[in-house]
Amino acid sequence: MRLTLAIHQIGSLSLGAATLLDGNKLVVDPEELRLLILEDTRLRSVDIETVSPGEDCRIGVVFDILEPRAKESGSGPNFPGILDPIGVVGQGVTHVLRGVAVTVVDGGAGLENGKILEMTGPAGEASPYTSLHHLVITPHSAENVVRHSEQAALRLASVKTSVYLAQCALEITPHSAEIFESDGPVVKGRGGLPRFAYIGQVHSRQRVAEIDEKILYGDNTAGMVPVSLHPNEWLDGAVVTCNRAMGAETYFYQNHPVILELYRRHQDDEITLVGTLATMAASDNDERDRNCMLAAEHAKWNLAADGVILTKYGGGAPHADMSLTARRCEELGIRTTVQVSDMSWDRRAESALLFNYPVVDAIVYVGGRDTDWDVPAAGRVIGGSGELAEELGAPRRLIATNVCGVSSQQGISRLRAMVH
Amino acid sequence: MEKAGIPVCHVTSVVPVAKMVGSNRIVQGQGIVHVMGDADLPAEEEKELRRKTVLQAIEALKNEAATP
Amino acid sequence: MRVVHYLNQFFGGIGGEEHADTEPQVHDEPVGPGRLLGQVLGENAQVVRTIVCGDNYATENMEALTALVLEQTKDAQADIFVAGPCFEAGRYGVAAAGLCVAVSSELDIPVVTGMAQENPGVDLHRQTLYIVDSGKAASAMREVLTKMSDMAHKLASGQDMGAPAEEGYIARGILKDTFVEQTAAQRLVAMLDAKVKGEEFESELPAPSFPEIPAPAPVADMSKARVAIITDGGLVPKGNPDNISAWAATNWGSYDIAGKDGLQGDDYEVSHRGYDTRYVEQDPDRLVPVDVLRELEESNVIGELHSQFISTSGLVNPIANSRRLGREIAAQLKESEVDAVILTST
Repeated sequence: MRLTLAIHQIGSLSLGAATLLDGNKLVVDPEELRLLILEDTRLRSVDIETVSPGEDCRIGVVFDILEPRAKESGSGPNFPGILDPIGVVGQGVTHVLRGVAVTVVDGGAGLENGKILEMTGPAGEASPYTSLHHLVITPHSAENVVRHSEQAALRLASVKTSVYLAQCALEITPHSAEIFESDGPVVKGRGGLPRFAYIGQVHSRQRVAEIDEKILYGDNTAGMVPVSLHPNEWLDGAVVTCNRAMGAETYFYQNHPVILELYRRHQDDEITLVGTLATMAASDNDERDRNCMLAAEHAKWNLAADGVILTKYGGGAPHADMSLTARRCEELGIRTTVQVSDMSWDRRAESALLFNYPVVDAIVYVGGRDTDWDVPAAGRVIGGSGELAEELGAPRRLIATNVCGVSSQQGISRLRAMVH
Repeated sequence: MEKAGIPVCHVTSVVPVAKMVGSNRIVQGQGIVHVMGDADLPAEEEKELRRKTVLQAIEALKNEAATP
Repeated sequence: MRVVHYLNQFFGGIGGEEHADTEPQVHDEPVGPGRLLGQVLGENAQVVRTIVCGDNYATENMEALTALVLEQTKDAQADIFVAGPCFEAGRYGVAAAGLCVAVSSELDIPVVTGMAQENPGVDLHRQTLYIVDSGKAASAMREVLTKMSDMAHKLASGQDMGAPAEEGYIARGILKDTFVEQTAAQRLVAMLDAKVKGEEFESELPAPSFPEIPAPAPVADMSKARVAIITDGGLVPKGNPDNISAWAATNWGSYDIAGKDGLQGDDYEVSHRGYDTRYVEQDPDRLVPVDVLRELEESNVIGELHSQFISTSGLVNPIANSRRLGREIAAQLKESEVDAVILTST
């Protein structure tokens, strides 16, 4: 499978009379975008604003962040199962507005434990999102729309906006191209290179996915067993985050740090990237045992992997699923590394781990609970309802785990908790 | 609790964690969101399932510790 | 810099095990390894007082020894307190670490000690002290004293302490966030690469250890037993009267179920941030199975259902906290003559 990303480097973002890309300047017609978003009758209005890199601005509660991307005609669907009909992604040409993000605000979410995007100061510097131009949309739901329908409407608005923005670049020659190509497990001519795979959770059933929640090719992952995905499918819209995702945004599925790093080494002929599995953290033991077993067996007998990287999703319990999968991999002779979240509230190393298998001995520990910032009142606030915005904009303590991109579960975090 | 000599049967849906922290008697529950039930079942069947789980726990308390 | 130094009878030159009962002696000069310590500390520092004490005396009279050391250290106008190094000597290590903790908290001056990883003094006080890793061999005295001296200067100057490996102290088991050059993804792939090739790699977290707790004997006759239900799933009466936190709860509640044939969703709520609580809120028996246990009580499968259920919220709870909650709950159930417990966890 071969995917070409046509990269359009964007240097400025503004609202204007027509949506167009002029050199590296992106102009967005908010009225046209508004009409498009409000085709969804679950929404009554939408605020559309731009935020510049490093601007003194605080945004919350963040529903999701996406990179604007659109598929060329004949290259396959955009966000299949959510926006376009089901069809495979990860091949053909996808146009990318690099340097821009679509940031969606969830006005119906409470501020407590909600995700915040801080665009300036030391908290901002710790986030990979502050160097981007943000088109921030805040959809407001119509009356009597139940919460999960509201969230489904936010999801649809988020992918619509991402595709709408990038479509204006389809006819324009990009600045550069990035090519991602792997023949998967049947790859030939790379003998001797270690075969690496990735097993990533895309949901945790600690929270039951809503019937209309669309996560993997539009599926809500209920009853899901591990599925094989080509690495390109993650990068090209097969997976989005769930309705309430801590430490994960769709932006870093589109730019998946683990997959990109594996690809880099693949292209440098250091390893062979043989494939990936998407799985989820189970709600009961049979489901967990089944999924962990199937994922490991799949990695062994279908991918013939020598090494596997595992990441988890959600909170504490998914560590059990991740570590059990890793243990089964190790028992099958596959070496593993796992990324864990910071679960130690008392800063004691003894409280940090939710598993204890001697063979699961290669752990990347993303910190976060020890890092916070006292931030002053924000110069500008985008925060859904008036009261929420007022509260959000006041001086407050920002905890790393609540700031988008800082203690990410997707591999972008530069935080490391060290044992002192 | 067990240090104080009171036998405990731990009913949980995350058995690996219970094993790790040293629970001696473990019974598998029905799910993280309803460890002693199953919202998808009719009320009567759900209660019957709960009775089965509780009886397993009682059985475990009657016997020498051995995890499933 | 004025230094007060603590030694045991062996390093203090009095003698071996046969002198372990020696009472504390105070010298206004360096003794034994203290002379070498004075040298490595440099010109601006001197050992102004040395307290030597037998290991057994210290073990048996820790309170008196602590009072004396505090008084002498204060009187000597010490800028820093040094104990040991103790290497593997257990009683010496326990005394040295205990004295360091006391001096640090009472006199608020920097303290330094050194011992081997295996010394019981490490287990007792590693979390509060910077203990220089001395290894086991007393022949490395100069090297160890040099490390302790470096540590003394560092603590005295109030500089930030780096990671254990670079500073030479025994890890205190405290997590500190650091921003590093590489993303987690890069670290994952690099670590996997090393592991697959059989090269050395460093996990970012060592494996934890949980002590095994021997299983209590089974209940001989459940039909005579008083059974209690505990949950860490956060079920509380409406209004959460004990204010049990939805995560990392620091308290627990005990709620009356006498005479109840089951729990009604209208009477309860769930204080727990870690799972989807709607199902339990619909029917709390799904977490705290009062309905079934009441029936089993009536049919005499169990003797009696304890009149209260106990609840807390287990989410992301520090282990030390969980242990305390466990102890408190156990004490109450012991008092209520409960014979067996069913613990439900989400």
